[in-house]
Amino acid sequence: MIEMQGITKYYDNFRALNNISLKVEKGEILGLLGPNGAGKTTAMRILTCFLPATSGTASVAGFDVFEDSLEVRRRIGYLPETPPLYPEMTVKSYLNFIGEIRELPARHRLERIGYVAERIGLTENIGRVIGTLSKGYRQRVGLAQALLHNPEVLILDEPTVGLDPNQIIEIRGLIKDLAKDHTIVLSTHILPEVSMTCSRVVIISEGDIVAVDSVTNLEKNATASPAWKIILKPAVGQNWRETIDKFDGASICDIKELTDAFEFTLKLSRSERFDDLFGQMTGGGAMFREISPIRATLEDIFLKLTSTEEGKEAA
Amino acid sequence: MKILAIMKKELQSFFFSPIAYIVFSSFLAIVGYLFWVILVTSKVATLEPMLYNAAFILLLASPVLTMRLVSEEKKSKTIELLLTSPISPFEIIAGKFLACFVLYLVLILLTLQYPLILSWYSTDFDVGPIYSGYFGLVLLGAAYISLGLFASTLTENQIIAAMISFGGLMLFWIFGWAKHAFESDFGEFLGKLSLFDRYAEFLRGIVDSGNVIFFVVFTMTWLFLATRVLESDRWR
Repeated sequence: MIEMQGITKYYDNFRALNNISLKVEKGEILGLLGPNGAGKTTAMRILTCFLPATSGTASVAGFDVFEDSLEVRRRIGYLPETPPLYPEMTVKSYLNFIGEIRELPARHRLERIGYVAERIGLTENIGRVIGTLSKGYRQRVGLAQALLHNPEVLILDEPTVGLDPNQIIEIRGLIKDLAKDHTIVLSTHILPEVSMTCSRVVIISEGDIVAVDSVTNLEKNATASPAWKIILKPAVGQNWRETIDKFDGASICDIKELTDAFEFTLKLSRSERFDDLFGQMTGGGAMFREISPIRATLEDIFLKLTSTEEGKEAA
Repeated sequence: MKILAIMKKELQSFFFSPIAYIVFSSFLAIVGYLFWVILVTSKVATLEPMLYNAAFILLLASPVLTMRLVSEEKKSKTIELLLTSPISPFEIIAGKFLACFVLYLVLILLTLQYPLILSWYSTDFDVGPIYSGYFGLVLLGAAYISLGLFASTLTENQIIAAMISFGGLMLFWIFGWAKHAFESDFGEFLGKLSLFDRYAEFLRGIVDSGNVIFFVVFTMTWLFLATRVLESDRWR
């Protein structure tokens, strides 16, 4: 559905994107992830025909963004970083204007505005002047604008910025729901958002793609060996350290002594062996108060992938 | 029609903001005052001074109407919406031009009360120069707006846009002043570029096709340049 090949973009001498290639299949939600200034917005602007690439080609739904810009623009809905709103218009007249410039036939327009407003939770505010709306509602109007003409491809630049937690959950739900009949590219620097909504993640740092994978794979690969956080209350006189030390492939670290128990991190070479160890420990009379698996979160991966340079400089 | 959609939206914003009302009321107040003063002092039933004054006041007022047309879209980033919609820069510029032109026509229609007053009270009233004068005023307005619209595409700062269009219009207004100083072909050429010299002929009741073509070409040129500037924003 969307394809970028060797896209490089320079602003004067500043390189915003460096040889970016990626592919998005129909019905997929792709998350563009990266720190501020990584080039997410630039990539999106190239896909929406707002900016030309310095070199490389990009196409949406089989149309080249430079050669067939009009066809591409017909097929995309775009929510820029700042929702493009006219504060003096009412929500309804604004959406009607969008319908007109997005070539939505007049006979479907009202119906479609009603449907989109309903879906995004704008129905009650449809008659209000945009300038008087709160930031969250403005964001919704921006999203409504992108959806209005039912485009094949949705490009959303930080869609949940400025929303309160409840709204964020709603909008994420909406985005997942939309993926049924739209292909979506969204950018964010909020990591949980990607794990919750996207099927695939592209991590960009300083204009380079540093990782492309599914969220689960990224998380899996980042954890070298399985680990658990454990709070253990040993039986009186039980030599629990020895049991673990003798156990094949087990190691512990970060030991903390609590009033009547111990907290530590346990690592095993193979996770299937946890049951054996558990059996040995409880057999000796120890009580487990807490066992929680430690997974590398997207945060860890993200930091690892994007902050190597800064880390060195800081050191 | 996407041009009409843009035009409708622009007209809405003109009337939702106080700009249109303020320009309208101050223009009518000044023109009305001058009409009264000139009429009671000269006691001649001619509209020439009024049309001349109106043209000059509109030269001052039109940059205020045109300055926000594109600048504001750039500042509030709504230009990103327009340029990523299936709409061409030409349609954007044409729609905005028409909106402002409609507003200008309304403004001119409101001054029709003065010729009506004159024709009511005067005997032997020559309507010929009134028709030609108003025709000239309409063409002049198109020229004002096109240059102002072009200036507005250059910057996201409305004050700068207003200043550029005001400066540009003023320059084209006074080009003719040097005509007599040079007394050569060059002087003639400068005079031909002057909006004022050409407009003055309309006020005398002359509708010269050369003058009409000049205003049309002048307008088209600035609109074309405005379109190109809007397109070129993408290349950067």
